[in-house]
Amino acid sequence: MAQTSGLEELLRGERGAWDSFVRRYAGLIVAAVRGIARDTGEIEDLTQEVFLRMCKEDFRLLRSFDPTRAGLSTWITIVARSTARDAMRRHRPVSIPIEAVPEGRLAIDPVEPVRTLKLPDALLSPRQREILTMLYDREMEVFEVAAALGIDPQTVRSAHHKAMIKLRAHFKSEVE
Amino acid sequence: MMRTDQEPEQRSEWASDRLLWQRSRHIDVPEDEAARFLDLAAFADGLLDAEEGERVAALLAADPDAAADVQAVRSTTCLDHGPRELERVVTRALAILPEAASPAGRVIAFVPRPGRRLLQHVAQWGSIAAAIAMASWLGFSMGSDTSLALSTPRQSSESALPDLFDPANGFLRDLGEGLRT
Repeated sequence: MAQTSGLEELLRGERGAWDSFVRRYAGLIVAAVRGIARDTGEIEDLTQEVFLRMCKEDFRLLRSFDPTRAGLSTWITIVARSTARDAMRRHRPVSIPIEAVPEGRLAIDPVEPVRTLKLPDALLSPRQREILTMLYDREMEVFEVAAALGIDPQTVRSAHHKAMIKLRAHFKSEVE
Repeated sequence: MMRTDQEPEQRSEWASDRLLWQRSRHIDVPEDEAARFLDLAAFADGLLDAEEGERVAALLAADPDAAADVQAVRSTTCLDHGPRELERVVTRALAILPEAASPAGRVIAFVPRPGRRLLQHVAQWGSIAAAIAMASWLGFSMGSDTSLALSTPRQSSESALPDLFDPANGFLRDLGEGLRT
């Protein structure tokens, strides 16, 4: 993909590739950040934060980009907006009067909270979850599930198969 | 109730799949941010298959910020920012030195300190010299005691043999005399 040319060199740590990357995507990142922040100084700081995040820990985030799944510009826009929003939340002063906050909520978490999801919500589509619920919790037959959802029994089998592959892969990686 | 028509192998697979499904519903997983970015980008580019598209759409329905990000991809066009501002942004970003660009580590061998080596040499040769001096003095003292004992006329009852075989007596006597004077 032409859009990702230079990415390999960048991940190898070539200084020239970093310069090209910055020059090529700085405008896009600034534009993406402008959707979150308005002040010029703030936009510059947030753009810098996006670049820092990209090359942090030996380009860990950039290494996770998969050109077969999405375009680099799209991915950078998503990362830039998310990073800018997180940074704004961290820096923004609390505007609620302290008396209005219940005491229990004033406690500060020792570590930054990580958002968690139920495993099926993270891995499976709503249709897959529904099919597994019908098959295993309600103990329905495949043709009953197909009739209830108004789809072909083969589609039910296919959705079930794909869902189980994902669950098995998750547990396998957990064991490893 | 329903699986009685299945083969034993199929029944066992059904039971293990059911167990896996039930177990998964009680597990919380931390959100994988890198995977989420890719999901959103793939969704925005319309590159997901139907099942994956449904899954990401469900996540977007529960997360308005993520939905806004996907929406923004379509409307974000590269900059109408002033060139001077952009140049400032570029200059700052170029100043970030990627960690991978740092030179590879080099092992530097420790060189033994010269003072320590000299001290070892002095101690070695000093102890040898002291041992030689001690042996020489002891040999000289024993020899002179022996010759003195043999040359002095003795009464027959006195035997020179103890002095000959035990020079320490003569040595101690000499020291005693030295102290008295």
